[in-house]
Amino acid sequence: MTSLNRRDFLKGCCAAGLAAGTSERALAWFAPPDLQPAAATADTLVVIFLRGAMDGLSLLPPGANSPFRADYEVARSGTRVPTSGTGAALALNGTQWALHPRASGLRDLFQSQHLAFVVAAGQKQPVPVVRSHFEAQANLEFGFGGGTGTNIGWMTRHLASGGLPATVPLPAASMGSLTASSLLGSTDAITMDSASDFRLDTFHWSWQDDDPAHGLVGAVSRLNGLWNGSTLLERAGADTLGSLALLRPINFGLYNATSNPGGYRPSGGANYALNYNAGFGNQLRNVAQLIKLGLGLRAVTIDLGNWDTHVGQGNPSQSYDWFGNQVESLSAGLAAFYTDLASDAAGNYMRNVNVLVVSEFGRRVQENADGGTDHGYGNVMLALGGAVNGGVVYGNFPGLRSDQLYQGTDVAVTTDYRQVVSEALIRRMGNPNIYHVFPGYAGYTPLGIFQGTDLPPSNFDRIFGNGFDGA
Amino acid sequence: MAAPANAAFVASRRRLFTALAASTGAPLTDPALAMRRPGRDGMREAELPTSPQALTFPPSAVRWLTRTTFGFSTAEHAAFLALGANDDARWLAWLTRQLDPAAIADTACDARLAGAGFTTLGKSANQLWTDHHASSNYYTRMLPVSESECATLIRQTYSQRQLYEVMVDFWHDHFSVFGWDYDGGPMFPAFDRDAIRPYGHALGNFRAMLEAVGKSASMMYMLDLYANEAGHPNENYARELLELHTLGAENYAGIVPNPDSWANMQALGHFTAWDGEEQRLRYVDDDVYEAARALTGWTVSGANWPYTPVNGAPLGDFAYDDTRHDQLTKHVLARYFAAYQRQADGLLLFDMLAQHPGTARFVAGKLCRRFVGDNAPAALVQDAAELFQQQWQAPDQIAQVLRLILQSDAFKTNWGTKMKRPALAAVSALRATGADFTPVPDNTSTYTPTKEFVGRLQAAGHRLFYWPAPNGYPDDQVAWSSTGTLGMTLKLLPRLLEMHQVESYNNANPFLTDIQAQTLAAFPDPAGRSAAAIIGYWCDRILGYRPEPLHTAAIDLLRQNAAASAPLDLVSDDSPNGQPARTGKWNLNNLSQHYTIARLRTAVALILCSPEFLRR
Repeated sequence: MTSLNRRDFLKGCCAAGLAAGTSERALAWFAPPDLQPAAATADTLVVIFLRGAMDGLSLLPPGANSPFRADYEVARSGTRVPTSGTGAALALNGTQWALHPRASGLRDLFQSQHLAFVVAAGQKQPVPVVRSHFEAQANLEFGFGGGTGTNIGWMTRHLASGGLPATVPLPAASMGSLTASSLLGSTDAITMDSASDFRLDTFHWSWQDDDPAHGLVGAVSRLNGLWNGSTLLERAGADTLGSLALLRPINFGLYNATSNPGGYRPSGGANYALNYNAGFGNQLRNVAQLIKLGLGLRAVTIDLGNWDTHVGQGNPSQSYDWFGNQVESLSAGLAAFYTDLASDAAGNYMRNVNVLVVSEFGRRVQENADGGTDHGYGNVMLALGGAVNGGVVYGNFPGLRSDQLYQGTDVAVTTDYRQVVSEALIRRMGNPNIYHVFPGYAGYTPLGIFQGTDLPPSNFDRIFGNGFDGA
Repeated sequence: MAAPANAAFVASRRRLFTALAASTGAPLTDPALAMRRPGRDGMREAELPTSPQALTFPPSAVRWLTRTTFGFSTAEHAAFLALGANDDARWLAWLTRQLDPAAIADTACDARLAGAGFTTLGKSANQLWTDHHASSNYYTRMLPVSESECATLIRQTYSQRQLYEVMVDFWHDHFSVFGWDYDGGPMFPAFDRDAIRPYGHALGNFRAMLEAVGKSASMMYMLDLYANEAGHPNENYARELLELHTLGAENYAGIVPNPDSWANMQALGHFTAWDGEEQRLRYVDDDVYEAARALTGWTVSGANWPYTPVNGAPLGDFAYDDTRHDQLTKHVLARYFAAYQRQADGLLLFDMLAQHPGTARFVAGKLCRRFVGDNAPAALVQDAAELFQQQWQAPDQIAQVLRLILQSDAFKTNWGTKMKRPALAAVSALRATGADFTPVPDNTSTYTPTKEFVGRLQAAGHRLFYWPAPNGYPDDQVAWSSTGTLGMTLKLLPRLLEMHQVESYNNANPFLTDIQAQTLAAFPDPAGRSAAAIIGYWCDRILGYRPEPLHTAAIDLLRQNAAASAPLDLVSDDSPNGQPARTGKWNLNNLSQHYTIARLRTAVALILCSPEFLRR
């Protein structure tokens, strides 16, 4: 698989397109980046978006000895995560926080110092704060501190300014049918919901694929000639056909000795089969496989939805535990992902894989009368990886007393998500252009979540700082 | 900058660039210039050419019908041509007819719906509650929404009331409900039938539809309105009512304390409402909470403990529970709500939202985006919004706005700035290829074409009523031009020509659409069955014109080493097990005779997989 790279790929399937006069799109792929950061790395950044506003106070509630516990228990009865008895929270060594009991995978990763939490994290911009899911998600993913700009996501700006070599076959993947907003506008990203389904195999078999021995040119190849125009639709089609061709040789199915001996075998006994949100497990597995194939993945988005628990959130003390089912998916999925990548015979891939978990905002401290919680503000973020300074809860938690809450109702935000992301970009991805990635953001300092080298943050000039070697 | 460490990278990129340009004969532009142009660095240009001059325009009738129906068909086109002396006159007549759907006979579609044997779609909300919502069997619970899905696909494909069906689709996006919600799914046909589909709603009055949607059990469950009570308001519905159903996020100002202070009224804008009251233009979080309070007590009969009828309303029907209503005063958008107005609080709220200029602009903008394009002229949106607001009490408010938009120059001249979303692509392929497809749900293990069809739509990200969030499927090209959804659409379309009735992969059953039989019927004389003639025929049927290079590419696939004008043998076939293989004969030594029947389907599939087919 390592023989596959973007250059070969283009030689193989796009040369015809070029010859036919479609140089414009291909040129976009070959043009050097504006800036080539000296420290650019080949790390992978995986951003998992918990859509619908995850209740951070239930994932990471104050522990038994926490000064915040009493206020938490006053605010939360129907959704409370207890510290003893049935459904008791898991203690986190050395902290005053606890974990939801269904998050044993996360607990283990925390104790082994590969996982860190950031409390009271969120979006400090825009002001005023919004409690609309869709606006808050857009704000976070576009990264302009409000607004959608020109529909270019922050990860797209990172890829464009982060020193991406031309020889990377697959720089970015957005796992889902539709591209995550953070990768919108990128010509480097492949979007797919399920890698194993992402192939053209539905023409009649007799005329589908090429048969060079008999001079037969199949329908799949012939599609390339139809999608050469310069409209947005045609460029998207050409991207799509290129992506399909790139992934076509890869067997994404799960290994089975009899039915799929060429399939993917997760390492270390990692089990991606989740009891809930099975698609999330499959997507994590697909990403792990792509990382191991050496296709150069730099940026990945994965979604895990169903967190909008206005009614019937459940709690771990009872049999009905909707939120717990969600937590189990997140925890078991990330544990499988870590195990798979950390214990491969080829080495510990997790040293160069960095996972961030975010949600658009947190939920209100005071639960509602329907056994649920409403839209709030501050939340918890997760950072996972072999180069994460884990086993630590970062951030300043401002407290749960009403005078400590934002507007008297929500956990206040003391750590901007852009600070956490920027640290990953600088220390792990080697891209100092964080003020280009997040226009309007200023005053970055690292929290120390990630291992790596600090670079002076910058905002390069697109026209003059373009990295052209001048030859 | 150019630090030594990375110079090699840059150099290698340039070598690659130069070598490729040279080897392909492409003009060797100065790489330095190429680099500095925006969009050459892994980002799409903000303003890509969406309809370059080189784009071949289909005839106006094709353009207009493609954007106001579930896809062009020769039958629709023929009916259109009979409506007047020129295209503008025909268009006016077509529009007038389509905006009065009650006057359009729809016998073929009705017969197909009747033949499908649906059992839940005529049930009252109370019957759905009793027969389905009360069931613990998942198939029984979800049968109502499954039948709604199938019936909708049938109507989109076969109904003569095409513009009305397009508007039903539009409103299902606007008032998006996830169909397979455990509580809302069993009640879905009542939502579809009583809130969205009445002609007086989908093509009629927004205010009437808004209230019917709010009272519908499926929406109440989707956004938790059923649980909204005094002292414990649930703000979920109220928030989306403002953000998604009426004013839109473009009129949301975030968390602003004291929004009705003089300074904030100036900052947030205000206008004079129909009754002379001064209302605020943009909304803030306090408006969400106050609107939620105004709607306390609105519920589904039997949805809350003790699960008995509320005020005698049949279980599953809308009920107003005065004991759960917050009777104190409220302020929404600076309007004062007096105490003890009971259910009238909610009705006043719907009035003021339906008449609000922000709502008019938001809805008009979405209509223009759907029918004209992603960058519809601001002046057209403004005109449509003004009409929408002026006519907010008119029973044909929406039809009037549609007439304005669809007769505008912008609508008539615009083309190609949007693409068909996956479900539209699939349905329009069924229409264009004359498919005989009556989707029906079942709970057997048979892999039916219904299961395959909806499964592939789901994989493409566009199964009907399957969007999980309340904002509805996106309607802009940038959202749908991802490799994921486009790839799965290109996977779905060829399959439609290979699927069989009853059991999708069983070759003993007829195809959903028999391309071979239709071609033979169109060319009864075997001497006329040339690749050029056949591809011309299918381009006309599917696209309404013969764009290049697609036309020639499809001919080349079909003719192989034969001349474009040479007749093809579309009859000879293998028959293993006594069944026709429907492939034609093997002959890899002479490709023009190799699996010719399968090749015909493949060539037609190629037309379906073209940008010309997916453009609208």
